[in-house]
Amino acid sequence: MISPVKIWRNQKHTAKLVGKTGSILVWTIIRVPPEGFSNQAPYPLAVVVLDKGPTITAQVVDWDEKQLHTKQKVITVIRRTIDTTADGVIPYGMKVKPV
Amino acid sequence: MNITVAGIGITKFGELWSASPRSLAKIAVEMAIADSGVEKKSIQGLFVANMLAGMLGMQGHLGALFSEELGLSVPAYTVEGACASGGLAVQAGVMSILSGQYDTVVVLGVEKMTDHKPEEVSSALMGAGSNEERLAGATFPGLYAMLARAHMEKFGTTEKQMAAVAVKNHFHASLNPNAQYKNTITVDHVLRSSCIADPLKLLDCSPVTDGAAAIVLTKDTKNKKGVHIIASQIATDTLGLAGRKSLTELSATKQAAQHAFIQAGVGQKDIHLAEVHDCFTIAEILAIEDIGFGKKGEVGREMEHGTYTLGTAPGVVVNSSGGLKGCGHPIGATGVKQIVEITSQLRGTCGKRQVHDAKIGLAHNVGGSGATAVVHILQK
Repeated sequence: MISPVKIWRNQKHTAKLVGKTGSILVWTIIRVPPEGFSNQAPYPLAVVVLDKGPTITAQVVDWDEKQLHTKQKVITVIRRTIDTTADGVIPYGMKVKPV
Repeated sequence: MNITVAGIGITKFGELWSASPRSLAKIAVEMAIADSGVEKKSIQGLFVANMLAGMLGMQGHLGALFSEELGLSVPAYTVEGACASGGLAVQAGVMSILSGQYDTVVVLGVEKMTDHKPEEVSSALMGAGSNEERLAGATFPGLYAMLARAHMEKFGTTEKQMAAVAVKNHFHASLNPNAQYKNTITVDHVLRSSCIADPLKLLDCSPVTDGAAAIVLTKDTKNKKGVHIIASQIATDTLGLAGRKSLTELSATKQAAQHAFIQAGVGQKDIHLAEVHDCFTIAEILAIEDIGFGKKGEVGREMEHGTYTLGTAPGVVVNSSGGLKGCGHPIGATGVKQIVEITSQLRGTCGKRQVHDAKIGLAHNVGGSGATAVVHILQK
């Protein structure tokens, strides 16, 4: 269930994480996604160490296979996350893009 | 500690379409009470372990629900700690006796998973992870896949070595009449199964399972059939993987195991068999290393040589029940089922999968990607 209030509350936190650089510590490709992510699968997921902290778990976007490795440099970006539900709120969140 | 596992009960594990949570609970608890020889009216408390009833079945308040179903009318509690719910409930039962509040309690673990679509189950299971992980579209196979990759990169652990865990656990499950899978498999079967989250494949993953397990705990140590709990320890770590100091170990497992060995006054070499939390093949390798049965980074290679397999193990036999992989993983029931298996082994009633002359056993139950770990040590 998407809660508009929760999205609103988390916005400030998410906004602070945009445009940060970091590097991939470890990664996988999700081939069997959870509910709400099926139109994005398969997609990579990574634990990313941001240069100025913290360490985060994020989806990797705009990727190709040779960029999926430990130490690959990435930058955090804002993207749509989970499929919207009947209340029509489009949730956005932070993902990472190889640079 | 002065706690006896007086009785054990377990249902078949599997895709039990015709069974309800109520019917599963009833079978397991009635079996445990009958096995214990304790009169039903002597039971003073009920601890229910479950993770998903609220999220998937919209049913909370399980203490009252099962107390009614079982005709117990005693104080009843629900304990939730993701996949470690069972182990946590066992400890809650132990503490209730140690505190002097009760003399005899029932611990029930129950989960009904196959009423729901796989993607719903997968999303509900992510309730055990962090919000950041959920928003990133993570799944539990995905989180453990990253632990697997970290282990492969640091220690050279291979996909074949991980597959050997599944092969062993299916072999053990083939000897367990209650197991979900009775079929043996080969390394090739695992490697050729479809990829779920690289490098983990379908046969690296424990299944979606219905089932229940129950035990009767009592402070009466005169019970001749009784097996005694000599250590009960829990440790926690960060909810999500990103907060961990290391991705090649589960620190909660290390801590809980160290404390349990101290509490029991025994060491790794004294343990004849262990039920460890193999929700994924890499998880069993991590467990064996972090408990200290094998050296860090070497257990993958050992796995290929049958070091932990019934019949060929020089020391501890791991997951004689078939583990989560072979016997099945009904989330809340798993930690209780581990105690049922160790107790049966220590009583010497396991038939074809009996570990010869087993006197001390260890149960290791993990919640999430290692945020909770529970270790129990049992002695005949």
